[in-house]
Amino acid sequence: MFTLGIDIGSTACKAVILQDGARVEARAVVPLGTGTSGAGDVLQKVLAVKNRQIEDMERILVTGYGRFTFAGADSQKSELSCHARGVNFLFPSVRTIIDIGGQDIKAMRVNAKGFLENFVMNDKCAAGTGKFLDVMARIINVKVNDLGEIGLKATEEVNISNTCTVFAESEVISKLSAAVRIEDLVAGIHRSVAKRVASLAFRNGIVPEVAMSGGVALNKGVVALLEEEIKRNILVHEDCQLAGALGAAVLAYEELHK
Amino acid sequence: MGEQVGQKPKRELPRSRVLVAEQTAKIYRDAFAAKARGEKVGWSTAIFPQEICETLDIPVLYPENNAASISAKHLGGELIEHAEGAMQYPSRICSYARLNMALADKIQDPAYSKADPLMPSPDFLLLANNSCTQLMKWYECLSRDLGIPIFFIDCLFNYYEEKPAKHKITYIRKQIEKYIWDMEAFSGKKFDWDKFLEVQKRSQINSKLFDEIIRLNMRTPAPMSGFDFFNYMSCLVLARGKESTTVIFEQLKKEVEEHIANNTTTFPSEEKYRVHWEGIACWPNLGHNLKTLKNYNVNAVINGYVTAWNVDYEPGDLDSMASAYASSSTNSLSTNTIMNMRADTIENYNCDGMLCHVNRSCKMMTFHIFVGRHIIEERTGVPCANFDGDQSDERIYSEAQFETRLQGLVEIMQHRKEANHG
Amino acid sequence: MADLPEMLAELQSVADSPKKMLAKYLAQGKKVVGCFPIYTPAELVHAAGMIPMGVWGGQVNPSVAGQYAPIFICSIMRSCLEFGMLGKYKGLSAVIMPILCDSFRGMSGAWRVGVKDIPLIALIQPQNREVDGAREFLAAEYGVVKEKLEEIAGHKISGDAIENSIAIYNSHNATLREFARAANRHLDVITPKIRHAVMKSAHFMEKAEHAAKVKDIVLKLAELPEHKWTGRKVVLTGITAEPGDLLDILAENKIAVVGDDLAQESRQFRTDIPAGQDPLDRLAGQWLSRSACSVVHEKTSARPDLVIKLAKENRADGVIICLMSFCDVEEYEYPLLAKTTAQAGLPSVCIDIDQSTENSGQARTKLQTFVEML
Repeated sequence: MFTLGIDIGSTACKAVILQDGARVEARAVVPLGTGTSGAGDVLQKVLAVKNRQIEDMERILVTGYGRFTFAGADSQKSELSCHARGVNFLFPSVRTIIDIGGQDIKAMRVNAKGFLENFVMNDKCAAGTGKFLDVMARIINVKVNDLGEIGLKATEEVNISNTCTVFAESEVISKLSAAVRIEDLVAGIHRSVAKRVASLAFRNGIVPEVAMSGGVALNKGVVALLEEEIKRNILVHEDCQLAGALGAAVLAYEELHK
Repeated sequence: MGEQVGQKPKRELPRSRVLVAEQTAKIYRDAFAAKARGEKVGWSTAIFPQEICETLDIPVLYPENNAASISAKHLGGELIEHAEGAMQYPSRICSYARLNMALADKIQDPAYSKADPLMPSPDFLLLANNSCTQLMKWYECLSRDLGIPIFFIDCLFNYYEEKPAKHKITYIRKQIEKYIWDMEAFSGKKFDWDKFLEVQKRSQINSKLFDEIIRLNMRTPAPMSGFDFFNYMSCLVLARGKESTTVIFEQLKKEVEEHIANNTTTFPSEEKYRVHWEGIACWPNLGHNLKTLKNYNVNAVINGYVTAWNVDYEPGDLDSMASAYASSSTNSLSTNTIMNMRADTIENYNCDGMLCHVNRSCKMMTFHIFVGRHIIEERTGVPCANFDGDQSDERIYSEAQFETRLQGLVEIMQHRKEANHG
Repeated sequence: MADLPEMLAELQSVADSPKKMLAKYLAQGKKVVGCFPIYTPAELVHAAGMIPMGVWGGQVNPSVAGQYAPIFICSIMRSCLEFGMLGKYKGLSAVIMPILCDSFRGMSGAWRVGVKDIPLIALIQPQNREVDGAREFLAAEYGVVKEKLEEIAGHKISGDAIENSIAIYNSHNATLREFARAANRHLDVITPKIRHAVMKSAHFMEKAEHAAKVKDIVLKLAELPEHKWTGRKVVLTGITAEPGDLLDILAENKIAVVGDDLAQESRQFRTDIPAGQDPLDRLAGQWLSRSACSVVHEKTSARPDLVIKLAKENRADGVIICLMSFCDVEEYEYPLLAKTTAQAGLPSVCIDIDQSTENSGQARTKLQTFVEML
């Protein structure tokens, strides 16, 4: 029996097909967010992996910012519950999850069953979010996906003091004109994200083990600095970006067996 | 308020600055020593009637001053992060409060030594809300977290322009009286009214002396870089009622008079423009502020912040003292009152412009700037420029923005000067 | 008597468009005086035969207020200034502003510059309530307000008139408390939005008139069988829980509000004016008895204690902390609230309340997650 989880985020859509609530059958990511063709595309893409039909799906659960507008779902859940459940599926020992999404940062504490115990989110400000990294990548003219590797090559981290995206932008530009190394600048940008995220994580309390989910978890530079800031190792699964969709598929399975 | 901030001394520090450093060190040392002896030590807001604890010889330290010093040394970031993280305080409250509440938490661990200067954990709090209402909320949190009492003088707010009305003065005087009795009981010390009168007189001497010194900067070119005054504010906050402050101010006055006699100045470049600096200093960014001002030949000859401690009253008259504490802080006065005072200052100090620090931590000072700007422009005709910053939180200030705003102000001032001469 | 849905719809309409009420009272030849949040001696306005009307801003992204109000001040104050500057409060004979926080300190100046045609009557409540003299001070402060109101009304305000108004206000308080209790027996009818509308409409109606309407609602509710609510129950704490969209999200997620510690709602009705000889002294006495509110100086944990008590008594599953944007007095209390409620076994979630932005998806996500967690 198959369940399908779709995570329609602000900058990307993710989907996972789960067999019997236990085995990942197919996964797909489309780098388009809610309000675009991303949701439809990711659905087609994930079904195509093993040549499945939508009718094969016993239950479809959607999450993410586009969860209310997606037709054809059996139910919807918040991305927090889905991330919690998804990470629990990947790493059952994890009790603290940090998720950096396109426009939200979330710090979550979960119990052994993957149920949320508490959570905090950033205020309405792009500081420290995926959006912040997008803006910075654009200014220094590199691909956002390359930031992680670039940042790891830093020899002397540049201090980016502003948290406001607009001010940080001008600060980065002035550092650029002062001809600092791009690698050092990127590390500085990562440090600023790590500090912001760490503060949120501390506010929610950190219980080991800690994992990161969401697309920014793929940025090794941010993860390394965040580990430094919170003084703990952070687990990152190769499917970290899919945690929300995976959790949605798990929850869909559970809804069938309630 | 932070010591030894501003320009890196190329020459030896003037004698007055050495004395300030010694006095401050002694006050902190005495507080730690008293704490070690098991005596009670207090933390106080900056414009609290310090005369009472001075009379009773009870050591008191000042979190606002302490936060400024820590920030000027770039040691505040970690504390602010602790406040926003583990302690769960929103990042929008005053950065002094965030820094200090985190410090209060950290110093409960005797091994903690990262901040400088450190303060001993307090046994009581002295709260006057003349500077703002956030102080009241901040001290409520400290009181709850540490389980210690607050001695509170509610100083109200002068929403209109007239002097504090009779019923306000009576209420504040009654609080001061109650505070004296309560503090006698709390400390187990007898209040010496004769000594109190002496402390009051001494406080008046110090306030007036500092006022005289600041006025010497009316001269063009000014004998002092306006930022230098920040270095003496600890005297007014920590030691307004002490004789050692009189010694320092007399020395400072001598030094300034010498500069005038020799036609020298502590401002590190040619003074082409004189501006009024409005608002608290950006303590973590003072170096950049001063460097940029120097590069553009702008001397911030005067600022309203250094004059806020001029608590002017008649010694021996509690009503007069009550009235003074109700109207000393910039933030306890209506925008009309404060901005008309600023306009007077701009005229008296012959300023070409006003540079306003939109301080993210301080709603009231920022309101004065936004609401009162037209008063300055209409009454004095000088241009005003705003820049964003914060008294302690380094994440707000933008070097590029500061320079652009200052440059813009300079261009207007230059244009006006040329127009006036041509 | 009209039927219940009509009665509720009427108060909903009052809450949604206070402007209509202002026009109505002006058309009746009444003078109307604006009363800023949170506590003003509105009884004095009432006693002068004028209508005290709450001034609580509204959803607006300010375009002109930025001239005088920095972006980082209380969201309500910015909207009020915006409306004032745009002439939306035209018709008010004056506004009364209590200087309860730093945003008010600044607003008192901003209002006088920005809204020159509506005079400001400022006042300040004593925060050191332990000192002998605080009550006397406040009575004198109210005396000054009374004189200014007399000028506006064009006649003296008698002691008897104030006593009469006090009786009406105390009775209104009791009625609103009764409504809150009755509402909990009918959570199917009294949705979060309706509960809010009944409470909020009190700010825009003459109190005897409002009390009569709420009494009728309570009577009508009593005729209905008690409803067994199967969804979740919460207690709200903060300055306001607005806009209506936010309350709709609660309803969509099967969350009922069974109690509140909101400045705009129950904080208005929970403290009566005490008995006494002199009416101004009685009004001052009410301020001295206020507790568990962020604009009142207290060293205890009275507020979280009250929120927990409210939650336990009404069998709430959790607490929603409605944190007003840039309201520093509330922000200082946030950690205490979050920690103390958690220790009492009550989960909480913090929602940003901001009049200047549309309700973001974030609030929806947070509330949905909160329900999923409970």
